[in-house]
Amino acid sequence: MYAAHTNDHGHDEHSHKPSGIMRWVQSTNHKDIGTMYLWFSFAMFLVGGAMAMIIRAELFQPGLQIVKPEFFNSMTTYHGLIMVFGAIMPAFVGFANWLIPMQIGAPDMAFPRMNNLSFWLLPPAALLLIAAQFAPGGGAGVGWTLYAPLSTQAGPAMDLTIFAIHILGMSSIMGSINIITTILNMRAPGMTLMKMPLFCWTWLITAYLLVAVMPVLAGAVTMTLTDRHFGTHFFNAAGGGDPVLYQHIFWFFGHPEVYVIAIPAFGVVSQVIPAFSRKPLFGYASMVYATASIAILSFMVWAHHMYTAGMPVEAQLYFMYATVLIAVPTGVKVFNWVATMWKGSLTFETPMLFALGFLFLFTLGGFTGLVLSIVPVDIQLHDTYYVVAHFHYVMVAGALFSAFAGIYFWLPKWTGRMYNETLGKWHFWLSLVFFNVTFFVQHFLGLAGMPRRIPDYSLQFAEFNMISSIGAFGFGLSQLLFLYIVIKTITSGEKAADRQWEGADSLEWTHLPSPAPWHSFETPPVVK
Amino acid sequence: MSKQPIFESIPEHDHPGFTYFRCYASSLDLRLMALFFGSLAVVLLVIATAFAMIGAWFVIPFAGVEIAALGAAVWMILRRAGDFESLAFRGDRIQVEVCERGLARRFDFHCSWARLVPCGPGAVALRSHGRTVEVGRYCDETGRQELTRELRGRLGAGRI
Repeated sequence: MYAAHTNDHGHDEHSHKPSGIMRWVQSTNHKDIGTMYLWFSFAMFLVGGAMAMIIRAELFQPGLQIVKPEFFNSMTTYHGLIMVFGAIMPAFVGFANWLIPMQIGAPDMAFPRMNNLSFWLLPPAALLLIAAQFAPGGGAGVGWTLYAPLSTQAGPAMDLTIFAIHILGMSSIMGSINIITTILNMRAPGMTLMKMPLFCWTWLITAYLLVAVMPVLAGAVTMTLTDRHFGTHFFNAAGGGDPVLYQHIFWFFGHPEVYVIAIPAFGVVSQVIPAFSRKPLFGYASMVYATASIAILSFMVWAHHMYTAGMPVEAQLYFMYATVLIAVPTGVKVFNWVATMWKGSLTFETPMLFALGFLFLFTLGGFTGLVLSIVPVDIQLHDTYYVVAHFHYVMVAGALFSAFAGIYFWLPKWTGRMYNETLGKWHFWLSLVFFNVTFFVQHFLGLAGMPRRIPDYSLQFAEFNMISSIGAFGFGLSQLLFLYIVIKTITSGEKAADRQWEGADSLEWTHLPSPAPWHSFETPPVVK
Repeated sequence: MSKQPIFESIPEHDHPGFTYFRCYASSLDLRLMALFFGSLAVVLLVIATAFAMIGAWFVIPFAGVEIAALGAAVWMILRRAGDFESLAFRGDRIQVEVCERGLARRFDFHCSWARLVPCGPGAVALRSHGRTVEVGRYCDETGRQELTRELRGRLGAGRI
């Protein structure tokens, strides 16, 4: 009799598994590519972090002690670019690669070869960003926003940077297309869209956002390039262009970009909190709609980044109200996470600690965002350290803490081994304390009027800057502990259970062993 | 949630009525895909046009390339959405039908002459009189082994 087979993973983890360096170069396996994304992201996190250490070392005291102002400007520029495009975005693409096929019951991504290419575009782009430091005249000190006319007048490093951004954009687009087609076409029977884990929903919305805004960034940097070398005057007022046009174009990309980073972070936290609350996510449908609402609103608020660039009062009012409106769906999400925990059977393992850290600090970052959305306040605080504090609460405490939560949560599934819980908790508490030491005081610096992107400052800012630098060094060192924990887990961690967290109920926990096999779900499960 | 095979197999064991049917795994909802792709195309068109109207026309080619790339990906998926293979024993004949990317091919072999032959790593094919067709292409390794066993039993032992 031809018996119907019911195994979810036809191959064991050793079958047809290539080895050596070529395994990684040629791999089309979503798990391998996810792993490469995550390691690449961590390497970039260290590079960007080293740049942050240089910035904070220079700002430890007033006066110019360690680096030249041009180099300092270059560090602020590439710290931002590398952290946004090289560290945080690839980290969540790594999560997407690892998790989306397993969570929807698919064997792999829809276009595995394109998946390989989209990863391998990243290292050359990263090398270009690093090589820009060694270009004649040094790195481009134009800020991560690459504002004209600075960017149209910068040295050759700017060209390398533009090329790197194009390559990174291509990689993001290919990744997004893969995620969209995988989610829409490769779900297991019964896995309707409204049954998908929220992480998959957040990535579907993020991929939509990425495809919609990437051409805008590509156009902006290409116009910068043609202004630099081909005699155009898009952003050159002397030739009839408009430098403020660049700001509009950049921020039309840049604000949704914030949500490209934040929305997958929401997805990770929405998996972790229910698992450690032993309760289903409260208000699943409202979470989906709130996420979509945030994405839609993100297209309509870009000019709140440029209140001081000059715009009619009516436009200021519109952008202020539209920005405040984002607090509504964001509030829905925060409410739902808290309601998920309400009367739950809570435990506080490392992933949950990082998720709670995210919840508390991201909300704080959201509140300071509301403060900055108010036009008269923003005009006072624009380009001060208050803004630096705000977006680091969103990016670091939001995206990075969420990424840590996700890594600790899924590390047992990925490696088949359990991390050291004590060390994980040390990592969390050190990160939490040093993060706040670094960035909380920057609110005070901003309120007192200290501008951002300066290597020297008035004596009145000395104490808070010293505190902030000490916090930054501590935060940086704490991340070496994270590296140690991950390596220790891979090499000598205790064997993890197939369902390490009993509250986790998505397919990768309920249907797959730990570590997840080389090929999973060749015959998809039926979801009821 | 329960573990069930996704593919519909219709084994009939009162020889010679064995039939087998499998298709490409797809959860594609055409209406949903059209909505997703269409809305994204419209959003991109609006964005690119708006920027072109204020002088930033360089957004248009990039928007075009991106939506074309997504369109190509969707088109490739749609081409595979109707893929299937079927295999049926009818008396002393084996009929195999394969549809790939909209192209249907039919094979009709005599049971006494058809052979099971390996064709690539883990794959098997039916061959007779110079014509070869791979079978079990939508099965995983275990499923393909089971299908091979079944076919081998019906075609006679010792042929693979």
